[in-house]
Amino acid sequence: MKYEITLPVLSDTMNTGRLARWLKLPGDKIQKGDIIAEMESDKAIMEVEAFHSGYLAGPLAPVDTDIPVGQVIGYICDEPVPNNIVEASKKMPDTSTTLASEKQPTKAAKTIPQTTEQQTVEITPSAPYSNISMPQNIPLVPGKRIASPHARALALKLGIDLSHVPPGEDGRILAEDVLAVIHRSPTLNLEAGPPYHLEKLTLMQQAVANNMIATITTPTFRTTAQFSLATLKKIAKQKQYSLTLLLASACAKTIKTLPQFNAVYSPEGMAHRERVDVGIAVDVPGGLLTPVLRDAAERPIDELAEDWRILKDKIKRQRLTQQDYEGATFYLSNLGVFPVVHSFDALVPLGAAAILAIGAEQNGQCLFTLSCDHRVVSGAESARFLTILQEHLQQPETLPYV
Amino acid sequence: MHEELLYWQALNRALDIAMAKDSSVFTLGEDVGLFGGTYRVTEGLYSKYGEVRVRDTPISENSFTGLGVGSAMVGMRPVVEIMTVNFALLALDAIINMAAKIPFMSGGQYAMPLVIRMPGGVAKQLGAQHSQRLEHTLMNVPGIRIAVPVTPQDAYEQLTQAINSNDPIILLEHELLYFTKGVLDSTKEQLPIHRALVRRPGKHLTMISYSRHVLLCLEAAEQLAQQGIDVEVIDLRSLSPIDWDTCMQSLEHTHRLLVVEEDCRFAGAGAEIISQLTERCFFALDEPPIRVAGLDLPTPFNEQLEAASIPQVEDIVTAAQRFRYPS
Repeated sequence: MKYEITLPVLSDTMNTGRLARWLKLPGDKIQKGDIIAEMESDKAIMEVEAFHSGYLAGPLAPVDTDIPVGQVIGYICDEPVPNNIVEASKKMPDTSTTLASEKQPTKAAKTIPQTTEQQTVEITPSAPYSNISMPQNIPLVPGKRIASPHARALALKLGIDLSHVPPGEDGRILAEDVLAVIHRSPTLNLEAGPPYHLEKLTLMQQAVANNMIATITTPTFRTTAQFSLATLKKIAKQKQYSLTLLLASACAKTIKTLPQFNAVYSPEGMAHRERVDVGIAVDVPGGLLTPVLRDAAERPIDELAEDWRILKDKIKRQRLTQQDYEGATFYLSNLGVFPVVHSFDALVPLGAAAILAIGAEQNGQCLFTLSCDHRVVSGAESARFLTILQEHLQQPETLPYV
Repeated sequence: MHEELLYWQALNRALDIAMAKDSSVFTLGEDVGLFGGTYRVTEGLYSKYGEVRVRDTPISENSFTGLGVGSAMVGMRPVVEIMTVNFALLALDAIINMAAKIPFMSGGQYAMPLVIRMPGGVAKQLGAQHSQRLEHTLMNVPGIRIAVPVTPQDAYEQLTQAINSNDPIILLEHELLYFTKGVLDSTKEQLPIHRALVRRPGKHLTMISYSRHVLLCLEAAEQLAQQGIDVEVIDLRSLSPIDWDTCMQSLEHTHRLLVVEEDCRFAGAGAEIISQLTERCFFALDEPPIRVAGLDLPTPFNEQLEAASIPQVEDIVTAAQRFRYPS
């Protein structure tokens, strides 16, 4: 029996993934549940688990290449399959053949030579008889776009780079897909400037770009207030808490008083969330992540501190999952560690009503800029939010953990 | 002058008029005289023009086709009837080695005003040896022209034009078309014999066919129209030469190509059509072209298997649905 290993779907938004590395080699014995490979999704490195026991067999999908979800990336066989048809992935040592045979039990190794010929000679069944000629299924080459001749000619004529044309659901770019780009927006003409070279977008860059573009239609306004962080800093130092954590907690308490900040506009109605989940923007190499502190208004600070420690650790190890970074109802972005930044404003992410942007301390004072979705909250409400937040920060006795 | 008549009647009319007008026109073949033709095309001509100009021949296709070739070389305008394309296999020497080559090899000293009429295609359970199409063979012969009329109007026009032409022309008829009805306007200005015709204009898909399957395409197009797919149906009318301009004009606005043929797919007319159109307008194509064709096997005798071996309307509809159309 030969089982297919397919590229798992790890998040709703994921269309392709990249294999980071294979942890097993073709011929290796696999137990159901073993981790056989690591893959990169939108934002994190995830593990690919074996759903069958047996022996890993190739051809294995290459690493560091975009692969559509659901595509076969390798096989698990009941019997070890000799390695001659295995396409060793780039990062794999060239010794894979010897490694595989070394690891096999001697009994299996003996049977291999006899079975080799038989197993690799496969009789291709003749095509089914049909009146209709069929273009063979066009293989979706990972990372490569299939565009029709007409689409190519059209793109050339209109000066559109095909790599900016999103393909149709069938993975191919046809003329209508090229035209859709024209109708969508003016196109960027890279040729107009100095020479350049293109660097492929990382999955994270692409995800950030998509998320930011999605916020364009949000009607946003900003309110800025100035107050001191000195008291909170003192507490953070005394109790060994991260300042960001205390700020997130103070925001969550403020939202408890002003629950409209925990609502989201949708055409079907205003969605009032029953829990305050605070997303915190974190600077990481090659992009940004927003790990979420769940139920930040109700849970004890020690618990939140432990969550925060785990989240930061996951970020460090690139193991943050979709559950860790999705679905915040309020966001916090703190650039206070850069002394030259006195204020800035942030984009309200989809799914939240507001985001608070905090600048660096200047003469004991900080500038707090609250960007809000005007469909959800009003200017006066934003003023009230900042007022209450200031009370919490300056009269920390109102906060439970002090 | 409009009148409604059957396909065989239109051919009969064309032949009658040509024979009345020009005494060098004569017809010959098996059972064309006394019997009036297996499909009645020469009905009434024997009594009108006599046994010399409407000549019954022995069952010897290569001989009487060769007789046609010889008489054409000396200025006659013979119309040879071969009972079906299946028997034309015996006449291929006269057709390919003589009719097609004599004008070329004589440096144009001999014209070849020869017409060979013959029906082909799958009719009703006539068995593998009597249900062939020969267009793939004949198209590959330089020097002959092939006309494939679908309607009584085209049957009338193209036979008339073929008789008047100084080139050897094969009129490929279809056994199931002889008793189809249509309007004949004999005063209408005639299209050139090789000109393709857009039988149905449309904007989403170009469907190219010839002979009887044009009718199936038109039926499929009506069904597809119900689903919002607007099909342009082109009737080639001539398989040699082919009117590429009409096909290209269509592809330039539909960007999708489906070719429907009753003949076997392998090395058939559809192969040539798709190959040439891909060369000529590659950058107009938005999807790989598709062929709907007869299966590559001798035609089965069993009624259901016979039907399954050649394209039906449902096959054409299914094939057309495989394209992605602009939403």
